Amino acid sequence: MKAFSWVEPEDLGAAIAAGARRGALFKAGGVDVQDRLKEHLDEPAALVNLGRLRGLDFVRVEGGTLRLGPLVTLATLASDPAIGKEAPALAEAAAGAATPQIRSAATLGGNLAQRPRCWYFRKEEFHCRRKGGDECFAIDGQNEMHAVFDNDLCAIVHPSAAATALTALSASLVLQGPEGSRTVAIDDFFVRPEKEITRENVLGPGELIVEVRVPAGRRSRYVKLIEKQSFDWPLAEAAVAVDGEPRVVLGAAAPVPWRSAEAEALVRGKRIDEALAAAAADAAVRGARPLQYNEYKVPLLRAAVKRALLAAGGSA
Amino acid sequence: MADETKLTRRGFVKGAGLAVGAAALLEGADGTQKHGRSRTLGPSPVEISLRVNGVDRRVLVEPRATLVSVLRDQLHLTGTKIGCDRGACGACTVMLADAPVASCMTFALDAAGRPVTTIEGLAQGEQLAPLQAAFVAHDALQCGFCTPGMVMSCHALLRRNARPDEAEVRTAIAGNICRCGTYPKVFEAALAAGATAAASAGAPQGELPARAAAPSAAGKAGNVSPVVGGTAETDAGKAQDDGAGLQARTFQVGLAGALAARERKTPASEPPPWDGSARLSVVGQKVPRIDGPEKVTGRARYCFDVQLPGMLHAALVRSPWAHARVRSVDVGAAAKMPGVQATYVVERVLGPAQMKVAAKAGERYPRIRYEGSPVAAVAALTAVQAEDAARAVRVEYEVLPHVADIDDARRQGAPLVFEAPVEQASTAGGGGAAHGVPQRGNVRGPVVGGNGLDVEAALARSEVRLEQEYRTEVQTHSAIETHGVVADWSDAGVTLYASTQGIHTVQDEIATLFGLPKSKVRVICEFTGGGFGAKFGAGNYGVIATHLSRKAKRPVRLFLDRRSEHLAVGNRPSSIQRLRLGASKDGTLQAIDLKAFGSAGCAAGAGCAGPVKNLYPAVAVRSEENDVFLHTGPAAAFRAPGHPQGAFALEQAIDELAAKLGIDPIDLRDRNDAHPARREERRVGREKFGWSELRRRRDQGTVQRGVGFAQGLWYNFDGGVASAEVLIHDDGSIDCRSGVADIGGGIRTACAQVVAEVLGVRPRDVNVHVGDTALPEGPASGGSKTTEMLTPAVRLAAERAKAALGSAAAGDVRAAARRSGRTVRGFATRARDYAGWQDGDPYTATIGGGQFVEVEVDVETGIVRVVRALAVHDCGRPVNRLAIESQINGGILQGVSYALHERRVIDRGTGRMLNADLENYRIAGARDAPRIEAIVIDHFRGRSNTDVSGIGEPATVPTCAAIANAVAHATGVRVRSLPITPARVLAALKGGGA
Repeated sequence: MKAFSWVEPEDLGAAIAAGARRGALFKAGGVDVQDRLKEHLDEPAALVNLGRLRGLDFVRVEGGTLRLGPLVTLATLASDPAIGKEAPALAEAAAGAATPQIRSAATLGGNLAQRPRCWYFRKEEFHCRRKGGDECFAIDGQNEMHAVFDNDLCAIVHPSAAATALTALSASLVLQGPEGSRTVAIDDFFVRPEKEITRENVLGPGELIVEVRVPAGRRSRYVKLIEKQSFDWPLAEAAVAVDGEPRVVLGAAAPVPWRSAEAEALVRGKRIDEALAAAAADAAVRGARPLQYNEYKVPLLRAAVKRALLAAGGSA
Repeated sequence: MADETKLTRRGFVKGAGLAVGAAALLEGADGTQKHGRSRTLGPSPVEISLRVNGVDRRVLVEPRATLVSVLRDQLHLTGTKIGCDRGACGACTVMLADAPVASCMTFALDAAGRPVTTIEGLAQGEQLAPLQAAFVAHDALQCGFCTPGMVMSCHALLRRNARPDEAEVRTAIAGNICRCGTYPKVFEAALAAGATAAASAGAPQGELPARAAAPSAAGKAGNVSPVVGGTAETDAGKAQDDGAGLQARTFQVGLAGALAARERKTPASEPPPWDGSARLSVVGQKVPRIDGPEKVTGRARYCFDVQLPGMLHAALVRSPWAHARVRSVDVGAAAKMPGVQATYVVERVLGPAQMKVAAKAGERYPRIRYEGSPVAAVAALTAVQAEDAARAVRVEYEVLPHVADIDDARRQGAPLVFEAPVEQASTAGGGGAAHGVPQRGNVRGPVVGGNGLDVEAALARSEVRLEQEYRTEVQTHSAIETHGVVADWSDAGVTLYASTQGIHTVQDEIATLFGLPKSKVRVICEFTGGGFGAKFGAGNYGVIATHLSRKAKRPVRLFLDRRSEHLAVGNRPSSIQRLRLGASKDGTLQAIDLKAFGSAGCAAGAGCAGPVKNLYPAVAVRSEENDVFLHTGPAAAFRAPGHPQGAFALEQAIDELAAKLGIDPIDLRDRNDAHPARREERRVGREKFGWSELRRRRDQGTVQRGVGFAQGLWYNFDGGVASAEVLIHDDGSIDCRSGVADIGGGIRTACAQVVAEVLGVRPRDVNVHVGDTALPEGPASGGSKTTEMLTPAVRLAAERAKAALGSAAAGDVRAAARRSGRTVRGFATRARDYAGWQDGDPYTATIGGGQFVEVEVDVETGIVRVVRALAVHDCGRPVNRLAIESQINGGILQGVSYALHERRVIDRGTGRMLNADLENYRIAGARDAPRIEAIVIDHFRGRSNTDVSGIGEPATVPTCAAIANAVAHATGVRVRSLPITPARVLAALKGGGA
């Protein structure tokens, strides 16, 4: 890890000002940042610590909206009764992520903004497209953990389980930066490789997630399929919300949380039974283009969607 | 800049963590403020206050310092370990306020002003916390390196949930990897502690015995002499140790309950053997480890924890290329970096096979044959200075074509790993390869084995034949304590604190390489944080650290990071095994023929024919083993070298043959395998497991259950030196001393039990000193021979010490010693001549066991879970049944992990390992542990005066094969490649083969 200076901002405004400066990097729980610094993927001049900012770890239900501060930890997301009740898919996603030790430290904002876990990206020696190079090593390399959709340019999968769940929950994010604040639908937050390959989201320099808003009380579920039951990255995940305007979202499938409009159309307004869930699951993986070593992901994604839909149950 | 105020470290307010400092109240330069200010700390060190275990500690830290580095290096709280440094293993778990965190992923600055609780904060003085006492009582630890983190995770759980259930315990420790696989006993301990706490509201239990005087950390004093005034030596039996006199004795041998008298000739110097009729009161019981309290409190000092005055930290420069010539190495810039005291350029790489002809002229530096091969090293005052400097070393490589895939390497025209024939010397850890073997391209072999009979003819006359190919992948040892040393060179000699299984083998290598007499090389290792076969020699790291220490004239610490651990210090070779079996219709095996290719990377030694050659006495047996060289890290001995691979093929093939014959697979084994212990193990296990009933079951749903069986064997090795010394002091205290390493098998406790048995005291009354070459030479800890080799010497030493007290010792030995006013000593070496102990029966030369497993296969996803395992093993006379259970649990856990998850993933394009971490290199965790029942069959053979054998290796041999057989039973399709991943299960179900 290269030496850096540590910036302790007094408030959000100070953090944004410090974070907008060249060579600055935000850090909340610090889990992903530590990893990147140790691997020399990032060598910031200054680390702007968000961890001690006050008033950003709120969990509130107001007017049909679950409002979450960016510093809420994954442990809280997993255990807070209000979240379990109002956004079960999010609670399930958080409960299944990482380890107890990591969940204690990792924050919602940091989880959404973390960099990919692709094992080529995470190695200093591989100067891949996402780091400004001109090659994706995974596309013709060891791609068993990689994307089956949208994998032409860069085959990462988005690493955030919370992102998958929040996409199903039609969340929106309040961002604040040097230019002021804006509210972005979660569908517009993540950036596909063809749009811009060196970033995963729309956050600009100095811009932060300051709140996550989730329509409360949706019937939602999240399913993660893992090879090893103790701390493992998902082979496949699915999150669904089935009442109102249904959403069917695949995770560990594409560089961004991957919605299936076809599957959503199939379940809209229908009572979910085994046959409908299976049909929607088939629809959700239609168009998948697996690479050499990840074809197995397609049936896993299908199973995840089906199980999430059946778990959510009832009528969409 | 306007909104920032640069603070020097002096200006930073101390004492209240990151409370606002006075300087932070300064106005911005423009005098206006739309928002608050920021304070900038560092990059040079800043002073902060940490509240650790209730005490405020001021430390000077760089912003980049992790909490664990500050706890360990600055506060010297070394109970908190580092296993992966990436938050994936849990060894560094501490409480930050009320939550368990990975202290390797926490900046020290993040902890400022918030209470930190480490493992050192749990015990109240000498009183263990109830949770710690439960860990000791339930033997919830083996090597103990992960134990502090494990205890902290359980502590965090119990704080928020005083009465957890097992599922909650499993989830709470899902982020703590125990490579010894001791999870089942952690569940027991946590549940018991929860119950205890609820019942007695946290009254402390257990006790922390006073620490026996350990060799001084700074000890350059040489030998720690145990010989005190008034010592009377009794070496009466010494002459007879050489096997001069033999004496006929009658033994009761065989399985417990079915003993038979046998006459044997044994050395006259030996006491009457403990045979099947011996009634022992301590040996054979369940005894909590005597070193448990040290391990659960973080006081156990691993070599990783050794901190000497003036000690430097070293960092390695490793090759990022799989195959390259090093053109130049420039350490000039690095040498000028802050804190750097010495640099070293590697002159010779240990581990790979060696070409018989010298390297071509013009190669000034050793050829790079694997990613991670060491090139240079630096030693500096702090670990981060060393890392910074290592990055400043300039190495110019000429990158050469590489081959990193076993199929690619066998093709014509593949890049050669060695241009000339090689040999692989065996090391202290075994390994090595047969000499004078043909070598073509990257293939060295075959090494032919078997009984020499015509296997083709036997196959031709077989009524039923089977031919299949089985594949296994490379597995890395992944001990949680990485390889490493602290080397301390002085004019008087060199002392190495080496994380090792064999202190004497490290001593031998360092003495040879540095041209020193052995008397000037001392190796100390009080505790080893896991080894599994990979920690025997001095290692490149040990040699490099010694060079650096010699140059810098200061102690140098060099421990590998997790990545180097995966890349450079050993692994279990891969295998491709084509197996042909032939049998007559009644199931009698006629022929077994194995043709195997395997890769030990740039080393030789990938054989896996052990099971084929030894498990079933078919009429004709033939094996061919071939090494395939790759540009990957050299293999090393790994828990039962060759056997899990071999069992994976053979034991599946036996099941496949049984299916063809229409015979129950266990019946087929009964027909062919007459080993009395294994026969009994199958009988007992079959009944206890409910085999016949479960075998008939067929599930229809998405999750299909199945059961499988497999068996394995291992050997009773007799080689090597094993000596021990027992002292009964004039104050009644007792020492047992032997230079053996404790790698987690519990050798200290086994020695204490044997001494206690002989002297009529309690195991805890015996202070056992191990892990120092200044002690009598003990065996290297490995090969499942440590307890087998050492306990006869310990017993004899104890008998001799007792005899030295004369007839007074008949009653209370300790009282007799006090009355006598002198210290007595017994020394013994395990008798060399065991010819008279063996009866020519080949079955007494092996140990083994059978394992039954039940799996659940999700046929929609291919995800396999092992839900239950029943293991029945024999290890001669069991010494500590508690520790044996733990080792069986661990063998099964490693087997589960190997069967379902473990695989070294190499990028073919670059030859680099992609999962050299503990996150993508998957190791089974607490939620992957099946419910395990371990049964030990007492099998008396009269092989030594204690008749003890080991359990470490056999416990992991059959597991992967049993799982594969269970998956086949559950799904009706077979996965013949390891690991049995969802992808492979789905492919097999689809009919695509796997």
